[in-house]
Amino acid sequence: MESTQQTESKIIELKPFTDEMIVNMGPQHPSTHGVLRLELRLDGEIVREAIPHIGYLHRCFEKHSENLSYPQIIPFTDRMDYVAAMNQNWGFCLAVEKLMAADETKEFAVPERAEYLRVLICELNRIASHLLSFGTYGMDIGAFTPFLYAFRDRERLLLLFEKICGARLTYNYIRIGGVSEIIPLEPGSIAEQNYLDEIEGFLDYFEPKIDEFNDLLTANSIFSERTMRVAVMPAEMAISYGATGPNLRGSGIDWDLRRDEPYSIYDRFDFDVPVAKDIPELGAVVGDCWSRYKIRMDEMKESVKIVRQILAEGLPDGPVMADLKAVRPPKGEIYFRSEAPRGELGFYIVSDGTPKPVRVKGRSPCFSALSALQELSRGLMVADIIAIIGSIDIVMGEVDR
Amino acid sequence: MDKYIRNIYKGVYTVLVGMRVTIRQFFEPNVTHQYPYEHDFEKKQNVREIPKGYRGQLYNRIEDCIGCKKCELICPVDCITITGDKLPKGEQLWDSMNVVHLKDGREIIGLIEGEDKKLNLDEELNVTNITSRQGPQEVIDRLEQSGDESRTQTFSGEEVSRVVTRNPVVFYLDQFDIDMSICMYCGLCTEVCPTECLTMKDTLEGIEYSSFDRNDLIFEFDKQEMYEKDETDTAEAAD
Repeated sequence: MESTQQTESKIIELKPFTDEMIVNMGPQHPSTHGVLRLELRLDGEIVREAIPHIGYLHRCFEKHSENLSYPQIIPFTDRMDYVAAMNQNWGFCLAVEKLMAADETKEFAVPERAEYLRVLICELNRIASHLLSFGTYGMDIGAFTPFLYAFRDRERLLLLFEKICGARLTYNYIRIGGVSEIIPLEPGSIAEQNYLDEIEGFLDYFEPKIDEFNDLLTANSIFSERTMRVAVMPAEMAISYGATGPNLRGSGIDWDLRRDEPYSIYDRFDFDVPVAKDIPELGAVVGDCWSRYKIRMDEMKESVKIVRQILAEGLPDGPVMADLKAVRPPKGEIYFRSEAPRGELGFYIVSDGTPKPVRVKGRSPCFSALSALQELSRGLMVADIIAIIGSIDIVMGEVDR
Repeated sequence: MDKYIRNIYKGVYTVLVGMRVTIRQFFEPNVTHQYPYEHDFEKKQNVREIPKGYRGQLYNRIEDCIGCKKCELICPVDCITITGDKLPKGEQLWDSMNVVHLKDGREIIGLIEGEDKKLNLDEELNVTNITSRQGPQEVIDRLEQSGDESRTQTFSGEEVSRVVTRNPVVFYLDQFDIDMSICMYCGLCTEVCPTECLTMKDTLEGIEYSSFDRNDLIFEFDKQEMYEKDETDTAEAAD
């Protein structure tokens, strides 16, 4: 009897059992990028499991849409990914336009000028979105300066958006069949020339700034030690979780809807798709937090390239709005995906031929990326959770809808 | 050991590279300012220019409102409440009018001579100018009686930016309330407005209108005053 007791006590001594601690991170936490609650099961400093609890920002976008006409839904898409609202507007409008094109009795085409304006504004919006992502990621890791630099430049972009659509964040600019005419930008007018000059001025100012940001944060040894080789997402895992956009390209998969499945007029522009590679001299591995972050920095340069091509060509003449009497798509359903700054934004719309949709479903890129968090964070440190959330760049408004 | 030293070197070097970026900022002008202290609205110090067409507070120029309820219909969040009734058939508060928007920003309200539905902006427009906004029918009558020819103005097509035809008012408005606390500033209502009387203020007061009481954000646009002035209206409107 005695001997068994002794062995039992020995086991306890050899494998000391510590209680798992459950910590709630969020919903009000500066680095959760919105109202996200993470339930962390911790073994000391090591994360056994991180369970995201979402829904704090749920606003019934999908159900609400069933009671609204198509033009009325556009302001609600603004509030999905409020950092890149232009791209959300565009995704929805593209879906409705494709659904309307199915009706052969009504001929309908988006004017050339509107297409150019859409690409111009959405690429600028992509820069604004990535700037926010860059700034807040630096702040998560503990560098405050990049945030101020990013917001200084983002402010100039927001002023440009304000001039063309009258709002800083919830634009409601891209409409079904064209773009908004609230602030008219007449072809060939001085106002148009001034506006394009202003954009060119911004690009001239901003392009060298990207290299500056790289000096400031990307190359920084403290930053790279915290992000390189952390939370590696292999290509198979990225695909199986449905991660898209910079997260997918950060895992080394060369896929960009703008190039591979061109919508609108993206096939006319020449741009590269940055894909993550192993960088042994720095220590970066494909799929780690640093690669995902670096993709965004490189994408800003590509967006600048696209905008420069539009400025060189100049905006074509003509109207900015198609001749539409009413938005009344035919009976049917559509799924359309577009490349938003955070990844593949899809809209699934079912129409019964009335001015109101029967069903609207938004496929949010952030939701898919966030679902990979649980597997990515297993076995890492608490501080790495912050690095992961920042690197997958989520906006809770889009996750919860 | 070699790796250890290289690590230290890398740590110091990359931080210095970053510091070079920040040190340049010492010689550049400030982009931030201390908001309430370095801010003077009256002297326009540090006050950012609000671009034309900014979507601020909703404002209804109620004199021109015809009560068509289009804004109420298009509003995605139902922040506009309109109640009213149609006038008996044949009655109207005033006839159809033209609003000529000039490129220098002026608006001329009047009747275009030889008016037809399609107005050609390339031709010269003869506008019987009516300066008053209130009770245009009255003013037209007075004009006709006085026979004042000098109020007719001529505009060439280059000056005019657009012409809006106002429909006759056949609707009696009891209530036109806008609850700005639920408005989402999408601007859809201003686009559908046929008389362009519903606008969003792109001025400072259109942005800074906060209140401690939520009920203060319900803006009521009252047409009663106008009805009182109109002699044809009954005394009921005068309460």
